[in-house]
Amino acid sequence: MYSIQTVDLTKRFKKKRHRGIFGFLRRKTGREKAEAETAVTVALDHVNVKIRSGELFGLLGPNGAGKTTFVKCLSTILIPDKGTAIINGFDIREQTQMVRASLGLVIGGERTLYWKLTAKDNLMYFASLYKIPRNEAKERVNELLRLMDLSDRADERLEDYSTGMRQKIAVARALLHNPPILLLDEPTLGLDPTFSRQIRNQIKALCQEEGKTVLLATHYMKEADDLCDRVAIINDGKVVAVDAPNRLKAIIRETEVLEVGCYGPSPDIETHLRSICRNAEIVTLIQGEEAKGVPSRIKIIGGNAEENVDLAIDALRRKNVQITSVNVSMPTLEDAFIKLTGAKLTEEKE
Amino acid sequence: MKLAISKDLTANSYIIWSELVKNMKFLMAYPVVFVFWTIFPIFWFIPFLLQGQAFVGGLQSPEFAKLAGTPNFVAFVILGGILNSYVLTSLYGVGESMRREAYRGTLDYLLSSPCNKAFILIGKAMSQSISSTLYTITQLAVCILFFGIEITLGVIMPVLLIIILLILGLYGIALMLAALSLRYKQAHDLAHTLENIFYVFSPVRYPVQSLPSWAQMVSAILPLTYALIAVRSLMLLKYNVTAVYYEILVLFIIDVVAIFLGFYLFNWMEERTKKSGTISHY
Repeated sequence: MYSIQTVDLTKRFKKKRHRGIFGFLRRKTGREKAEAETAVTVALDHVNVKIRSGELFGLLGPNGAGKTTFVKCLSTILIPDKGTAIINGFDIREQTQMVRASLGLVIGGERTLYWKLTAKDNLMYFASLYKIPRNEAKERVNELLRLMDLSDRADERLEDYSTGMRQKIAVARALLHNPPILLLDEPTLGLDPTFSRQIRNQIKALCQEEGKTVLLATHYMKEADDLCDRVAIINDGKVVAVDAPNRLKAIIRETEVLEVGCYGPSPDIETHLRSICRNAEIVTLIQGEEAKGVPSRIKIIGGNAEENVDLAIDALRRKNVQITSVNVSMPTLEDAFIKLTGAKLTEEKE
Repeated sequence: MKLAISKDLTANSYIIWSELVKNMKFLMAYPVVFVFWTIFPIFWFIPFLLQGQAFVGGLQSPEFAKLAGTPNFVAFVILGGILNSYVLTSLYGVGESMRREAYRGTLDYLLSSPCNKAFILIGKAMSQSISSTLYTITQLAVCILFFGIEITLGVIMPVLLIIILLILGLYGIALMLAALSLRYKQAHDLAHTLENIFYVFSPVRYPVQSLPSWAQMVSAILPLTYALIAVRSLMLLKYNVTAVYYEILVLFIIDVVAIFLGFYLFNWMEERTKKSGTISHY
C-alpha cells in the first residue's frame, strides 16, 4: 500500500530574460524569440516514486535539484505540467482539498510563521484553516506544545523565539490535524546541532511510533543516511536511484575512498589530480567554509587508495595546498551520490 | 446532510473569525496605530476648513450650492473624504493582503490548507472594515459637533446600508486587485492607480457635474459615486430614502458583478500562477 505515488511528474519553469530598462518598448529580435522558446528550466523530469505507508523516505539532492518543487507539487502549491501524484488515495489534480487535508507540511523554514503572534495564536490560527473545532484545537495545540517542550513559552511572541524553537512550532503546525503523511522540506536547515538532533528524533518517532509516512527532502547526507528507510537521489529534476541507504552505498562497496582535508585548493585541482591518479574513478572537490575553519575536502574514489595517497599528497604539496587530514575509508552515501550524479552536495553540518 | 452543512458553516465562520482576530492582533502589536486613530481624524479636517476659508470665506458658498445642491462646502467634502477612506482601506488592506502574506512567507501555507481561500479574504476584509469604521465614527463625531451635520435615527439605517453596499463593491474590486497582485506582484502601485481613479472620477471633493462628460461616464461605473450621491442626499439635502432607491439599486448591481468577477479572477489567477510557479514570488 503506497501513501504517495507519482506518475511521470514533470514541472518546467520559463526563464525570464531581462531585455534592458526599455526592452519592453522594442520588438523581440529573432534570436530573442528563439531564446524565449528554449529558455526553460526542467525542475522535475518525469519523476516516478512510490512511498509505502509508514515509510520514512528521503529525497536527497543538492540545492536546485528539484526537491522543493517536488514537495510543492505534492502539496498542491504548484500545478505540474505533466503527470500526477496520488496522495493517500487522492489525485493532486482532481481532489486537491482531500490531498491538502491528508498532508502536514514543513517548507520554507522559520519565516513561514507570524512572528508578531504568540506560538499558541499561530497554532490556533492554522488549526482554523484545517477546520478543527475550537475546543478540539485548544487541546491539540497544548498537546503539541508539550511535545515540542515549549509549553512554558506558549504565550510569547515568535519574534522572541530562537530559530530552532520557531522551527519546532513549524513542525507542530504540520501535526495540528494529525495527518497521515508529512512532507518535510529541509526541516533542520540553519539549526544548531542540538535542535537538529531534537527535530530528527521527533521525525523518527512520528514515523516509528505513530506510523506516519514521511517524505524528508534534504541535502544533508547524514540526515538521510541516519533517518531514512529508503532514499531517492534527485539531480537536475531526475530521480537517478531509489533504494535503502545501505544498498545505495553497496553500489561502490568494492572500492575504497581516499579523503583529504585541506585548505586552499584551487578549482582546477580536480583536473590535476585526475591526471595523476589515473586509476581513480572519481575525483571531486567539496569546498569547505575555510574562512570559518571548515576545511575543503578532496575525495578520490576507486583505484588503489594506498597508491593514490602518495600521489595526491605529493601533488597537493606542490600546489601549496595545506593538508589537514588524510583518511582511507569505506564508501558513504555521499560517495554513492557523487558516483550516481556526478554532482556534489554542499558542506555537511555536524 | 443538515448536520454536515451546519458543521461546515461553523468551520467557515471560525476561519473568518480567526483571520479577523489575527489581523486585529497584528494591529495591536504596533501601538503607534492608536496615535493615528486618535489624533489624525481631528487633524484630517484642518485642510478642508482652510480650503473653504480661502475659497469662499467660510463654510458656506451659494455658488457651490448651484452645483451641489448644498451651500455647505466643507460638510460636502468631509463626507466625501470619509467614504473615500473605505476605498483606501479596501484597496490597500484587502488588495495587498495576499502580497503581504507572500512577503511574510506564509502564503504557501494558506494555499496548501484545505479551506476555501474566500473565507480568509472575507476575514481580512472584515478586519479592515472594523478599523475603518472606528476611524469613521471618530470623524462623524467631529462632523456632528463642529460642522453642522445632523444625523437622525431615520437616516442612520439607510446610510449604514449604503456604506455596507459600498464596502461590498469595493471588496469585489479589491479581490480583483489581490488576484492581479498574485500575478504582477507590485500591488502597491496598482492600488495607488486605482485609488487615484476613484479620487478623480468620483465626487469626493466636487460634484459629478464638475467633471467633463467623458469623465462622468467613468464616474458612472464607480460604486463610490453612487454611495456619495446617496449619503449626501440623505445627510445634507435631507431627502427621503425613497429619493435614493436608484443609487441603492445600482450599488447592489455593482456589488454582485464586482464580487463575482473578484472571486472568479482570484481563482483563475491562483491557478495560473500555480502553473507558472510564480505564486509565492514577490
